[in-house]
Amino acid sequence: MGRYAIRRLLQLVPVVLGTTFIINYMVWQLPGDPFAGRCGQRPCPDSYVTAMREQFGLDQPLLVQYWNFLKNLLTGNLGTDFNGVSVASQLGDAWPITIRLALMAVAFEAIIGIGAGVLSGLKRGGFIDNVVTLSTLFLLSLPIFVTAYLLQWVLGVQLHVIEPTVTDAATVPELIVPALVLASLNMAFTARLTRTSIVENLRSDYVRTAVAKGLSNRRVVGIHLLRNSLIPVLTFLGTEVGSLMSGAIITEGIFNIHGIGGLLWRAINGQDYTIVVPVATLLVLVYLISNLLVDLLYGVLDPRIRYE
Amino acid sequence: MTEVLSEQMGSGSHSGALLEVDDLHVEFRTRAGVAKAVNGVTYSVDAGETLAVLGESGSGKSVTAQTIMGILDIPPGKVTGGEIRFRGVDLLKLPEDQRRRIRGEGISMVFQDALSSLNPVFPVGWQIAEMFRMHRGTSRADAKKKAVELMDRVRIPAAKERVNDFPHQFSGGMRQRIMIAMAIALDPEILIADEPTTALDVTVQAQIMGLLAELQRDSNMGLILITHDLGVVADVADKIAVMYGGRIVENAPVHELYKNPAHPYSKGLLESIPRVDHKGQELYAIKGLPPNLLEMPTGCAFHPRCPYRRDNCVTDVPPLYTISGTRGSACHYWREVIDEGER
Repeated sequence: MGRYAIRRLLQLVPVVLGTTFIINYMVWQLPGDPFAGRCGQRPCPDSYVTAMREQFGLDQPLLVQYWNFLKNLLTGNLGTDFNGVSVASQLGDAWPITIRLALMAVAFEAIIGIGAGVLSGLKRGGFIDNVVTLSTLFLLSLPIFVTAYLLQWVLGVQLHVIEPTVTDAATVPELIVPALVLASLNMAFTARLTRTSIVENLRSDYVRTAVAKGLSNRRVVGIHLLRNSLIPVLTFLGTEVGSLMSGAIITEGIFNIHGIGGLLWRAINGQDYTIVVPVATLLVLVYLISNLLVDLLYGVLDPRIRYE
Repeated sequence: MTEVLSEQMGSGSHSGALLEVDDLHVEFRTRAGVAKAVNGVTYSVDAGETLAVLGESGSGKSVTAQTIMGILDIPPGKVTGGEIRFRGVDLLKLPEDQRRRIRGEGISMVFQDALSSLNPVFPVGWQIAEMFRMHRGTSRADAKKKAVELMDRVRIPAAKERVNDFPHQFSGGMRQRIMIAMAIALDPEILIADEPTTALDVTVQAQIMGLLAELQRDSNMGLILITHDLGVVADVADKIAVMYGGRIVENAPVHELYKNPAHPYSKGLLESIPRVDHKGQELYAIKGLPPNLLEMPTGCAFHPRCPYRRDNCVTDVPPLYTISGTRGSACHYWREVIDEGER
């Protein structure tokens, strides 16, 4: 297991280099000059553009720029954005909020998704099963921004149960509805995956053995059945943590949450690539690391899989 | 716990055998229709006795066993008649809670495929220890000690080192030993072994059968051995019940059946065993196919395949004729079959 983990970590190196290079390369291929439009109604003087380019090292060849980016990344020196504000401090403000939102979303996915899936799988064809099948289909067919606006309008504007937008503090109670929105698709999928897994394992020989051992129904389901059925579900939840973070862009935009998503959104619109590149890199790292953790977790959950 | 169970169930006063299956009927409701899997099966096992239940796939032998254990899938399965008496008490009428306590304590079962029947994600020792922890409230540490003892008893080498291994780390024969250790953990009075050696190599088959026979002798269990393999049962069984189409077509002490079968189906089964003195001859096979449970043949279920068939076989269902105190045959012409002589 240790050697496997090290090998997997080493594999991450070329992937990180490749993805970050593409990110660094691509941001300058987008149309528009980030400095040309910064002087209000009239075009910026050439001297300003040249000075800024020099300041941010954009006059140098791409490979040199990339080398500097890597150096800064490793030393933790992210510099300032085009307005002279520290990038690290902006990330530091936004990051905890997105983490909080994402963790809440994962918790909802796990608790509600698995709970609904287990209940519907155990009583296949029953009332709960039909309700779950129908509501998950509903959630899966709605694009996430529709769900977001719908809840914002119904709960926030019409019923006044919540504030339509989240304050700067982004406290846990404020984030409940946004987290539900963010979780909705994966939650529905988790419920379906759990249901399928439960139905499949319910027929398995080892469940029959557990019953024949004279174990209580609760133990048969809660220990023997669940332990096996949750392996694919937990794997799915783990791999989706990364995409959840990038999915937060839409949700954070709609509910005015000042997290990573909002930061990235504003930076892309303002063509401030000093923010876009580190945020995108961070998302890549989260995705890669959560995937690695899932692969390692898989070996722990399923003893039949042992890494050499 | 045995005492507690006895008290609960008022044991000791009944006159019959330890376990009696009496005129059991089981159906499966499927989309294609009602499949009558078990049609009036009657058999009994006493302590220290081995009953071999013989029959091909679909004969109802496993369904009967699952009904005894109470692990039949309901629905689609449904018990439509009969009784299963354990120490004189009809299990089918017991509330689920009491029935559950009999599983493992009173009646235990070993399944065919030990790899899929053991839980893949728990260590084998844990799975054996669970019997003690859940039924007896034994502490984790003590239960594990007992698991090691049991693994020793079923002769798993280096039991102490292997107690934390997972099922997939064992060979087929060792896995079946673990299944057996789990089944005998609480000293059940009846052990049902459903094709315990079918998935194993021939040499390992003999070892497992030997182990089962030995364990039975030591603890005086009643053993129900379900198999389709006549060769397996000859040495260990006391009596045989041959099943066909969900019914018992012949029951007999094992040696009498081997010597001189009283039903054309049993005779066909015996003749299809390869024999040294018939070397070079073509191996006998019973012609035709097992009956379709959705559309059972009229009269005797075996008549489409039977060389002794007469007209009334097509119309009249043969009852289980009594041949002697311990023998019966569900064939109108059993005398003819038996008179044809010894093998």
